[in-house]
Amino acid sequence: MSGSAGRVLLVEDTPTQAEVARSHLRDLGHEIRTVETAAEALAQARAWDPDAILLDLELPDFSGLDVLKTLRAEGSETAVIVITANAPMNTAVEVMRAGATDFLPKPYPKAKLVFTLQNAMEKRALVIEKRALESELHAARALTARQGFMGFIGASPAMQAVYRTIESVASSRANIFITGESGTGKELAAEAVHKASPRAARPFVALNCGAIPRDLLESEIFGHVKGAFTGATESRTGAARQADGGTLFLDEIGEMPLEMQVKLLRFVQTGSFQPVGGSRPERVDVRFVCATNHDPLAEVEAGRFREDLYYRLYVVPIELPPLRSRGADVLLVARAFLAQFSREENKRFRRFSPEAEAAILGYPWPGNVRQLQNVVRNVVVLHEGERVEATMLPPPLLCAGPGGGEAPPITVATSLVPVPPPVIEIMPLAEMERRLILAALEHTGQDVPRAASLLEINPSTIYRKLQAWRGPKRVTG
Amino acid sequence: MSAIDPQIAEQLAQDLPPADFRRIIETFEDDLSRLSQQLEAAAIAGNWDGYQRAAHSLAGAAAAVGAVPLEQAARVAMDPRSPHPPTVVVPVIRDRAQAALQELSALVARFDRR
Repeated sequence: MSGSAGRVLLVEDTPTQAEVARSHLRDLGHEIRTVETAAEALAQARAWDPDAILLDLELPDFSGLDVLKTLRAEGSETAVIVITANAPMNTAVEVMRAGATDFLPKPYPKAKLVFTLQNAMEKRALVIEKRALESELHAARALTARQGFMGFIGASPAMQAVYRTIESVASSRANIFITGESGTGKELAAEAVHKASPRAARPFVALNCGAIPRDLLESEIFGHVKGAFTGATESRTGAARQADGGTLFLDEIGEMPLEMQVKLLRFVQTGSFQPVGGSRPERVDVRFVCATNHDPLAEVEAGRFREDLYYRLYVVPIELPPLRSRGADVLLVARAFLAQFSREENKRFRRFSPEAEAAILGYPWPGNVRQLQNVVRNVVVLHEGERVEATMLPPPLLCAGPGGGEAPPITVATSLVPVPPPVIEIMPLAEMERRLILAALEHTGQDVPRAASLLEINPSTIYRKLQAWRGPKRVTG
Repeated sequence: MSAIDPQIAEQLAQDLPPADFRRIIETFEDDLSRLSQQLEAAAIAGNWDGYQRAAHSLAGAAAAVGAVPLEQAARVAMDPRSPHPPTVVVPVIRDRAQAALQELSALVARFDRR
């Protein structure tokens, strides 16, 4: 839809404001209708089905927010951009929660209105495309639900929805915001978006904002020139330049310091940035994919995440379901890990016993796929045989019972060492290090920064180690 | 004090062809004339709702063209907690509206010549 003309309904009771908006949009070729009241807005929205509505909040008969809520309650998918002056931040949050596509404070320059409208219309086009794709695939899906997609494993309806969203949005330029609990596969989803996009042949650059010291983050993203700061003995290219033409994945975006968020916002808006110590802006073409395991709107409300940056990045949301909501997927994922780790560890394991599968199904997996991965790897490493028996699993899995419920914690001892030795077991230092890091991750529910803090090492060390242990090939659910 | 915020008004003038910018200022002039009359009539009649509605529309129109002092005065009129009665606020609004129009007309003329 970007660049193409559409139907735009302007709901504005002040003639000067309406004239400004119409003048800004005049050369874009849209068909524009203007109404001055909420009642007229509802009537036009129902009868004319506009692609986008520019909606003033304060209208003479009733509030624009009520118009928005009514339309969404009726199932309207029209892009609605709320435009208002002097609104407090909680108004912005309220209208976004009510289903607004975007929020634009008055007064606004032409470029901002045009950009916001085109974004919103593109988003609506994606929704329509997604709807068409959904109905097209409905019959096929009933027959053969996909067991996996781009490295994901899972046939549950929740994961089918994730696969369809990734496919629908991949070809667009729209920014993607991935949310989900730790261990649900957010980086894998980001990679899937990249691989399914026309940018697949260009770089995918991932950066964990929570793992990089605050004072190095700017240099990591934008690079630096020689002499920019003490220790900058060579110029260094940052992630933004490396990702030119491709995708820049910013994981744990909520951990980014506020002052860095300002610089990122400028980069997202303009596509250009200035390396640390550099004198000239550089322009690149990147698609942004971000992820967090927090509620991004709550972070905005708490003042930890910039509202304007949120609106720029939160264009297409993808929510990854926790493993406990994915039904029998947990077995598909566990079997895939068993095959992979048996191969890697030269073991003979081929399957799980029915009792072991029942225990795996019944456990709520608070650490999600990453926790399941650790459990299966530990079973493979510590036991022998062709079949994984229930007794080989950590005791908390056996206590959970069918249907999940509150997850009994898997302690370091139960997850890693079946029978705690009375004295420290002597083993190669590298193996001890591996066990200690995995234990710290278990202990913190796979929270890498907290685990790193307990171990008094840098989080990036943990990521590096995990990457090395994982090897070049991996299976993730 | 300037009656318009040059950043907002000049941005508008730069973003648009001169004819469009002129039409916006003419619309603003019409709005000012109509809304000022409504505001004064409501104030005389003691019609608080009408007074607030007219002030709200005035603030919106002023904000659109960067007439920030006028917008601020209109917002004072809109505010039910404001200690300033209409007899004080209305003349201020009238003066600021006049000043905003003069500066905007000068801006139109400047951009017309370009």
